[in-house]
Amino acid sequence: MSIRWIVWMIAASAAAAPSGSIPRTPDGKPSFSGVWEIPYVPDMSKNGRAAPGIVPAQVGPGALPFTAWGEQDFKAYDPGKFDYTAHCLPLGWTRQMNTPMPLEIMQEPNRIAILFEAWQTFKVIPTDGRSHPKNVDATWMGNSVGRWEGDTLVIDTIGFNEKTRLDTIGHPHSDQLHVVERLSRTDATHLAYEITVTDPKAYSEPFSNKRIFTLRPDWELMEYSCEENNKEVTEGHVK
Amino acid sequence: MRKKLVLVVAGMGLFLAAVPVWAHHAFAAEFDANKSVKLRGTVTKMEWINPHAWIHIDVKNQDGTTTNWMVEGGTPNTLFRRGITKDSLLPGTEIVVDGYQAKDGSNRANGRDVTFPDGRKLFLGNANSDAPGSAGAEKK
Repeated sequence: MSIRWIVWMIAASAAAAPSGSIPRTPDGKPSFSGVWEIPYVPDMSKNGRAAPGIVPAQVGPGALPFTAWGEQDFKAYDPGKFDYTAHCLPLGWTRQMNTPMPLEIMQEPNRIAILFEAWQTFKVIPTDGRSHPKNVDATWMGNSVGRWEGDTLVIDTIGFNEKTRLDTIGHPHSDQLHVVERLSRTDATHLAYEITVTDPKAYSEPFSNKRIFTLRPDWELMEYSCEENNKEVTEGHVK
Repeated sequence: MRKKLVLVVAGMGLFLAAVPVWAHHAFAAEFDANKSVKLRGTVTKMEWINPHAWIHIDVKNQDGTTTNWMVEGGTPNTLFRRGITKDSLLPGTEIVVDGYQAKDGSNRANGRDVTFPDGRKLFLGNANSDAPGSAGAEKK
């Protein structure tokens, strides 16, 4: 665990209103179960907004370390030509975590499920010690495995197709994308989340983005049908 | 780690910043951040169906004619958690909408705020975005 991560977690814990101890599962791990409010991250390079006195819900790395290919691809991106999300296609893993809609985590000793209100989809992450399969088919959301490092849950995801963007503003990625997420409970109602993106084709070095999720015991995930009244597409306003 | 924290005063949701609106996945494809519009009129219909809420309003033009506009908001789910419901904007309600017009110049806009005659504001977009008017970490 890096010093910077520890410092940020301490700051996040101190800044968030202290609200009780961290719940644990019978096997002694911190519990991530519950419905979580997550910050909307349309641009992973930037900081999000925050009320005064509170650690920003999202801290970005600043300008991204593009390779020549990455920079050219980003400059050429035009959602006016085709916006896959407007057509309700899968968002892709990083963009799925970026939405303004809550997620629910359901935790068992060897498996964790993340249920997303946005696009009404899910991801199951085995935490039984397995590695990624040898030959991973490229998919929209990638192949995830999880492991514990002390009280931190580490989710490792590879095997992405090239049909998505990292975020709304259109930061690119290739099929070499490798995403590592670290989740830690800071107190009874908050979770510290750090996502690190590695993609040597698009970025000359990895970059990270940190967020705070807030537990919402009074929320339930609501139904979301992207297609139901999708006027942009049905009325021909986007391609 | 970034040392500079971006702080805003969390008021009723109005914070003007000269940055493009990235609040919506198809915004850049459909709407023009440089075409600000202020629509004053009466609600005729509200569509409260995913993926986006739509508010239809009759806008009184300066020449006395009326034009019907449609204004896109965030998902009903997100608006609902902010206290907006399908009864918040019943037909006949007088409102002022601040937003951004469609690129093709049609009578469609992406809505940022709705202001009622008593001064109350409803923020229509996605919180924590770079959108002008974003209220940051709104909690309900």
